[in-house]
Amino acid sequence: MIEVQSLTQQFGETTAVDTVSLTINDGEFVLITGPNGSGKTTLVRHFNGLRTPTSGTVQVNAMPVSEDVVAARTAVGMVFQHPQDGFVAATIGADVAFGPENLGLSHDEINRRVTNALAAVNLSDREPDRIDSLSGGEMARVGIAGALAMEPDHLVLDEPFTGLDEPARQSVLEHLKTLSERGTSVIVVTHDLRDLIDCCDRVIAMNAGAVAIDCPSTDARDALSDAAVYVPPVSEPEGESEPESL
Amino acid sequence: MATQTDSVDLVGDEVTANIARAALFAALMGGFAYVSFPNPLAVGVPVTLQVLGVFLAGIMLGPVWGAVAMILYLAAGAVGAPVFSGGAAGLGFLIGSPTLGYLWSYPIAAAVIGLVVHRGVDIRDYAAVSMPILVGAMVAGTTIIYAIGTIGFAVVQSVSLYEAFLISAVAFIPFEALKIAAAVGIIKSDAIAAA
Amino acid sequence: MIGYRSGQTLFHRLDPRSKLLFQIAFAVVAFAYTTPRGLVALTLVAAVVALAASISVRQTLWSVRFLFPFLLGAPLIASLSVFPLEFTPADAVEPALSSYRIVLIFIVSAAYVRTTPIRDSRAAIQRTIPGKPGALLGVGVSLVFRYLPILRTELLSIRDAEAARLGSERPLRSRIELFTTAAVRRSFAHADRLSLALSTRCFAWNPTLPRLVFTKLDIPILLLSIVFLSLPVVLR
Repeated sequence: MIEVQSLTQQFGETTAVDTVSLTINDGEFVLITGPNGSGKTTLVRHFNGLRTPTSGTVQVNAMPVSEDVVAARTAVGMVFQHPQDGFVAATIGADVAFGPENLGLSHDEINRRVTNALAAVNLSDREPDRIDSLSGGEMARVGIAGALAMEPDHLVLDEPFTGLDEPARQSVLEHLKTLSERGTSVIVVTHDLRDLIDCCDRVIAMNAGAVAIDCPSTDARDALSDAAVYVPPVSEPEGESEPESL
Repeated sequence: MATQTDSVDLVGDEVTANIARAALFAALMGGFAYVSFPNPLAVGVPVTLQVLGVFLAGIMLGPVWGAVAMILYLAAGAVGAPVFSGGAAGLGFLIGSPTLGYLWSYPIAAAVIGLVVHRGVDIRDYAAVSMPILVGAMVAGTTIIYAIGTIGFAVVQSVSLYEAFLISAVAFIPFEALKIAAAVGIIKSDAIAAA
Repeated sequence: MIGYRSGQTLFHRLDPRSKLLFQIAFAVVAFAYTTPRGLVALTLVAAVVALAASISVRQTLWSVRFLFPFLLGAPLIASLSVFPLEFTPADAVEPALSSYRIVLIFIVSAAYVRTTPIRDSRAAIQRTIPGKPGALLGVGVSLVFRYLPILRTELLSIRDAEAARLGSERPLRSRIELFTTAAVRRSFAHADRLSLALSTRCFAWNPTLPRLVFTKLDIPILLLSIVFLSLPVVLR
């Protein structure tokens, strides 16, 4: 479970996240949406301690993130918008092994996790392949496998569909659905909603750093059209980025 | 899980950011091996950007991480990354090549440039550093590169220092002034200072 | 281009640490015995290495072609004097032997490059250099391998984009400035995203290191390295 209480994040004069409180339960499939600059990316970066709150707290599995960053980063896997900038090794197997290696696990355990993580994204037996040779969809799946190898309880994906063609997008989405059915909570940050509302359990829409809508997915279409939150219906080429200065 | 997380000696986020920058800068140095500009004075001697990379490493990353970036560049080339001139690689470049003095001088030059520009090991805003200090630091760096480079060439090729200087340095030194001017322009431009 | 290729040669099966030590030992002997007789013996050793690693000598030489002007120029300039204008061939002998020595060292180091994947090199670095410096160097070197092809492609596209906008008509200094500004900005943007990804995956100073074990195959090359390293001392 991820519990956010009165979280505020300021970058100089700008308030990127404004007193947000919310709880994400185990196994939930949550969509966090909102226009560029609405604070959705900044919000999720607090889930595993990549940002330090100006005020407020975040707890993962009942443990404050600030007290045990390693526990938070193990429990909350995160996949970023440009998966090619998250790879640290030249081959698929070596890259997926990076997280488990950092945890100091035994070689047998690392191998088991790499095998399982690659199987979960349909890339079994591709360990020796070079990452440079992969398509965009395959890169996205290797990025997810790298996070899964930490065996997280929650998986956060920031704009996972950027730059993917429709078949690749569908394939990644199928894998996310399967993960969520098996009990991992999946949190997708995106402004590209399209058919995603029908796949998820819950939709959170942010505007100007605050939660504007938080409702079950069945009510989401009405809520989104009623609210003043502008949510682009179709894909845009670039996603949200944070203010540069801290 | 608690027992497991206690044993993980996490790299701090700030050090992580510095390692990432140093590694990318090292890769950029390698990328420079594939780009050269035509020489307006001598057609056969293209102008390459490696030395400009050394300047910028010292100025932008500071003495410590600038030197680390250069060491990563050399180490990656030594174990096979195609980063040396013309996309070559191998430990031979560091232990047997006539250019080994030039290569080994890069971390030293980056550290010295960084020390002068930042007045110590702590980083300060390099865009605010005065022009004479910037230029002076780079002139000192250039001197170090060519001094160590010339000595290395003389030793490896069994020629005199004078001959080594003639063959390995003279044709290239005029362009260092150009690169110093370019470096000043680059760091005074807002584009990078804001990053 | 000389780069790693998977394979089953003798050199592929050696521990990377043995291969690194051997290169250093070979260079030490080559510098200590840069005589016709010494270089004949070392040529034989280099030939055996080239065979055992299945590398092409011609390709190796081609990969270092940018050094040829130096290798040929050094003996030439040593044999010439300007005042008075004279050509003394005897003066060229020692620099020429030195040039030949350099070629031999490159052949031996190409054998390492051809037969050692980066993962093994990283393990060798981290197992040889203790503590944080080893961890920093090991990870840093892998990252250079990972990002070099990406940056290389980007640099070439920056150059093409600037040429397309008539950047090539500008003075040289201005072109270098524009190109390098764009290149550094790209690199730092990659670095910022990379550092988030590293942090998120618990980047640690004390990770589990890849397996690396010396085998019986390493014994001869280690012994030969020790002999090489001690020769200049013993036969003094």
